[in-house]
Amino acid sequence: MAVRPARSRDIVRLKLRLLRNSLRGQSWRIALFVGGLIAGVIVGLVTGLLTSLTGLDGPDPARSRDIAYLVAVFLGAGTVLAWSVFPLLFFGVDETIDPARFALLPVPRRVLIGGMLGAAFVGVPALTTFLATGGLAVAATARFGVLVGLVSLVCVVGGLLLGVIASRALTSAFAAMLRSRRMRDLAAIFIAVGASLGAPLQWFVTAMVANGSMSQALGIARVLAWTPLGAAYAIPFDVADGRYDLAAGRLAIIAISAAGLLWWWSSTLESAMIGTTAQGGGRTRAAGPGGAVAALLPRVLRRATPFGAIFAREWRSWWRDGRRRASLLSVLIASAVVPIAILFSASGTVEFGGASATEFGGAPATPPHALLTGYSVTFAGTIGGMLLANQFAFDGSAYAAHLLIGVPGRVELRARAAALTALTVPLISVVTVVVLVASGMPDRILAGLGLLVTGFGAAIAAASLLSVLAAYPMPDSNNPFALNSGSGGAKGLLALVAILATVTISTPVTLTSMFLHGPVGGVVVLVVGTAYGLAAAWLGTYIAGDTLDRRGPELLAAVTPRR
Amino acid sequence: MSNDETVVPGQRVGGDAPALALRGLAKRFGDKIAVAGIDLDVAAGSFFGLLGPNGAGKTTSLSMAVGLLRPDAGAAYVQGHDVWADPLEAKRLLGVLPDGVRMFDRLNGRELLGYTGLLRGMAPDEIDARARDLLDVLGLVDAGQTLVVDYSAGMRKKIGLACALLHAPRVLVLDEPFEAVDPVSAALIRDILQRYVHGGGTVIFSSHVMQVVERLCSHVAILADGHIKTVGTLDEVRGGRDLEDVFVEVVGGRTATGQELSWL
Repeated sequence: MAVRPARSRDIVRLKLRLLRNSLRGQSWRIALFVGGLIAGVIVGLVTGLLTSLTGLDGPDPARSRDIAYLVAVFLGAGTVLAWSVFPLLFFGVDETIDPARFALLPVPRRVLIGGMLGAAFVGVPALTTFLATGGLAVAATARFGVLVGLVSLVCVVGGLLLGVIASRALTSAFAAMLRSRRMRDLAAIFIAVGASLGAPLQWFVTAMVANGSMSQALGIARVLAWTPLGAAYAIPFDVADGRYDLAAGRLAIIAISAAGLLWWWSSTLESAMIGTTAQGGGRTRAAGPGGAVAALLPRVLRRATPFGAIFAREWRSWWRDGRRRASLLSVLIASAVVPIAILFSASGTVEFGGASATEFGGAPATPPHALLTGYSVTFAGTIGGMLLANQFAFDGSAYAAHLLIGVPGRVELRARAAALTALTVPLISVVTVVVLVASGMPDRILAGLGLLVTGFGAAIAAASLLSVLAAYPMPDSNNPFALNSGSGGAKGLLALVAILATVTISTPVTLTSMFLHGPVGGVVVLVVGTAYGLAAAWLGTYIAGDTLDRRGPELLAAVTPRR
Repeated sequence: MSNDETVVPGQRVGGDAPALALRGLAKRFGDKIAVAGIDLDVAAGSFFGLLGPNGAGKTTSLSMAVGLLRPDAGAAYVQGHDVWADPLEAKRLLGVLPDGVRMFDRLNGRELLGYTGLLRGMAPDEIDARARDLLDVLGLVDAGQTLVVDYSAGMRKKIGLACALLHAPRVLVLDEPFEAVDPVSAALIRDILQRYVHGGGTVIFSSHVMQVVERLCSHVAILADGHIKTVGTLDEVRGGRDLEDVFVEVVGGRTATGQELSWL
């Protein structure tokens, strides 16, 4: 019987259907969908206004044009870069159209690539990006007229296309590598570190653009405009100048890189289609002496109780689970970066090594800075404790084992909190001491540690409640980059609220620390802060433990990924 | 339903109470009724097979019976102890192997058994001795050092069974214990379960493999569309016929006429 061969269009229609089904009856998903589009429109409008209106009627048309050029090239290059890297970093590969699912179907490779490319355009990320960069085309119309505006529109689509191809090619190329669990765990850590370092890097670039001269930034933009990242977005300016040769050159750059990426993608697609295969022999450790209990409990912790067991299991999981290790590492980095960033933005200049004596002073820190230091250190503790905000999802439905045994909620939450405390508080403390010494405030170390514990304890309280009341599933997927696109988003935002709440809860101690100076004051803050943090954690796990005892089955359902 | 329900036998506590009694258990997910109020008595010492096609509500029923899924209505009793009102006592008597549920898979097999034992409040020496026996019998000694995440599907079933057996429960509830298990391991598990029942334990397990059920069970219930269609001893349910024929008839499946798929 004659069978119509598969066409790329079918795959796009499949993606459309999947999108529609995912929106059906889920009002908050629709809200996220619309919200994403609105955010795109807003960014697009802002860019459009920025590039078209700045100085159109201003005193210096050349300068306004330079600004427009800068915005276009930097925004464009950022978009293409983000598209190439972000799927690996945050959003996870969009697995709704997974090449592995087509492995058994007779779909020619060209059709598959065309279809997957088309499908990648259907969805919130691509639409939002298009709307956001579409502002450039509006601006180009306003500045250079309709013709250049149309060229700009084509270029915006071209840039997006390049970004989408790059993202597909990269994820496909890495798919084979990420098949082994150990490589996945390793990659997750590298990427977590890279992503955490991204923030300071961006902060550096912004500072350079803000402080540096226009010509420096223009120089960078001109170089970017000759790379695949920025080429598309510079073309409208060439056309407006009548430099069609330059435009053609840039077009060639885009075409060549797109072709190269497509070729790379198609050559790695085959291995990506094979899907997850057997995972090798797995990790084997040297047989330790003793029995099952000795194997589980660390030597120092000879407490053969449910508390000790959960403590030991959590401790091991933080090391052995790539996803957990990655979040642990990013929090450690953030605990160093955030205080530095807060202090930096407050003072304008941070000269490390205590050189800026006028800023931070040898003697008592001046109130505004004492307050900021206080808050930044409290915050470092807070994000540490917030690692538990969705603690039950790390192991997903494995929580069923606790439910079947009937582990008391308070024991459960306190053991988990204790394991995280033992693991992170010493490390964050060291980081905080280093940061305080490096920014010339060694006299604030004791108080800083007190505030750290306050923030950590308050965060444990908030996170325990949050993890019981607003848990959401993490995908069982073996891809460490896979995050449920959207499903966790709304509840993930609650964690932000909880962080704010935690910082507020800690405020009494933070404020008190402002007025206590010297060694005695430091000791007082340390003692009071530790007591405050412990009390908050005790109370939080008390209440949350009660709730957990009542809501165990509901929690299990909440953290079980839907299949 | 062939139960004499004059005194609500599920609430009798003591030796003559049924090992597991379900009373009007019901659950709906959205518009779909998964389990439509089932009653079931599993006598102590029986080897009970819960049969049903895919999507019949087997996992939902068993989850509600052991305290993993809160029922919309109804109650479950383990030797007379209400699973939802008096969970600790009921859970002490129960050993459960859930299906489609993850384990704490960043532990190796030996650690997982130690963990389960400590959570159950067992003495360390007893845990060590039983864990050694279980790993030995189930052929997991070599895998005792491998993280559970790297186990094969069959090995996971076996370590899950070991966790369920560790505290020597009186009632074992197993959801699809033979799924993805190779014939050698399946024979081993059958053997262990038969010995357990001979020793006075009760096993309730779900399956859609007739041969296993026919070979093992003393009692059978057939579940379809959230209702219990037939229940009784194996011979009562079979009525002298092949269990598979009875099953297909009860569930309402179609039998091939030979006319379908003529183009094949």
